[in-house]
Formats: sequence, C-alpha cells, structure tokens
Amino acid sequence: MDIIKAYIILSIALFLIGLLGVIVRKNLITVLVSTELMLNGINLALVAADKVLGRVDGQIFAFFVLTVAAAEVAVGLGLIVAIFRLKGYEASHEISQLRD
Amino acid sequence: MEWLIFFILGAWLIISALGTVLAKNPIHVMLFFLSSLLAMAGLFLSLGAELLAGLQLIIYAVAIVVFYVLAITTIPWEKIKRFEGVYKTEILTASPILLVLFLVMSYMVIKGKFAEPSGVVKDNVEAVGRTLFTSYLFPFEVASVILLVAMVGAILLARKEE
Repeated sequence: MDIIKAYIILSIALFLIGLLGVIVRKNLITVLVSTELMLNGINLALVAADKVLGRVDGQIFAFFVLTVAAAEVAVGLGLIVAIFRLKGYEASHEISQLRD
Repeated sequence: MEWLIFFILGAWLIISALGTVLAKNPIHVMLFFLSSLLAMAGLFLSLGAELLAGLQLIIYAVAIVVFYVLAITTIPWEKIKRFEGVYKTEILTASPILLVLFLVMSYMVIKGKFAEPSGVVKDNVEAVGRTLFTSYLFPFEVASVILLVAMVGAILLARKEE
C-alpha cells in the first residue's frame, strides 16, 4: 500500500475523533478544542495530497485553515466567556436559546 | 524508515487525540491537545512541509494553546464541576456510527485510485512563499481582514458591560 493512503486514513481517523468530541463533550471549551482536532485532520489530508501532486497549493490552503482557526478561537472563546458571565453556566445542553 | 516514522507519529497522534476527547479535567485536555499538535508538526516535517510545521508550532502550539489556557483560568472551575466529562448516551450512540463511517471511508481510500506522483517540490519554503504572494495574494488579504474582524469581535464580546 502506498504511504499516502496511510496518511489519508490517519487524517480521516483524526477528523472522526474530533467529531466524536464535538458530539459527546459537555464543556464548551473542550468542544472548541475538538473542532481544532477536526481542522488538523483536514490539514493533514491537504498536505498529504500535496506530496502526491508535487505542488504547494495544499500547504497554502492549510495555511488559510490555520488563519481561520485562529479567528474562530478568538471569537469562540469570547462568546464562551460572555455566556458564562451572563448566565453562569457552561454546558452545551443548557445553552439552547439564542435570546433573552 | 518512512513507515516506521509514520507509525510512531501516527500512534502518538491518535492516542493524544483520544485523550483530548475523553480526558475529564480541562487542563489535561489542553495538555493532550498540545501533545497532538507536536505529533502533527512531526508528520508535516516527514511529509516535507517544513514551513507549515514551523507555523503549526508557532501559531497552534504557542498562541492558540496559551489563549485556551487563559480562557480556562478566567472561569472558576470549582463552581462548575458538574459540566466536566462526557455525555454517556451520546458516546454509546455515536461511537459505533463513527466507527462504521471510518471503516467505509478507509475502504474507499484503499480501493480508490490516486494520482501518480508528479514532480517534487525542491525548496519548500521558497515555493510556498512565491505561490502565496502571487497566485494567492487576494485570499491572503482576505485572511488578514478576517483576523482583524475576529479581533474586533472578540474585544467587543469579552468586554465587561459598563
């Protein structure tokens, strides 16, 4: 088997582990960390595809994914801290309303 | 040799990712996440993406993890101990479905046809820089605008009400 296929399978495993974390974690901050794991899985697939094709475009896409992940962490943590200040709780099943 | 490095780093990555998802304490979650980021940087190095490995270490392993730890220390955890851990019903339902999904996708990857290796990138950092500032100049600017908007939004959200 080609080693690139092994890398793609590893990236699929990482993505699905991150998805499991998004589904099952109670705490909102750890849900955000699991989202980062999913993004890392995508980055691994992009860079592996890059090695097959002999180009650098996938690495540049991974660079943009990194940028968007940084922005998402900033806004997400700001939201979590604001929700905690406002309501005093931080579990995903208790935040089921958007206003009031 | 390539396979040996792949298996060591891949096992490290999967174990620390599972630890990230299943560990109870948020600080342990952050430590497992940091470990998975280091394994990821090693995998990027073995794939020949040196610039991305360095960016992974600088941006993720330093900036983002420090940001998470800062947010964790903001919140008084002793008050909200009951929010730690995982939902039991959800993990029993989701893990078989995700396992089946993983098997199906792996089967598709193994049976599928891949493109033949065509050409090797010699000087990785130089090639990435040249492509980034010529073909991808406009997306680069858009990314900087996104970062600026995210910074303003985070300041507005986290500000204390007067």
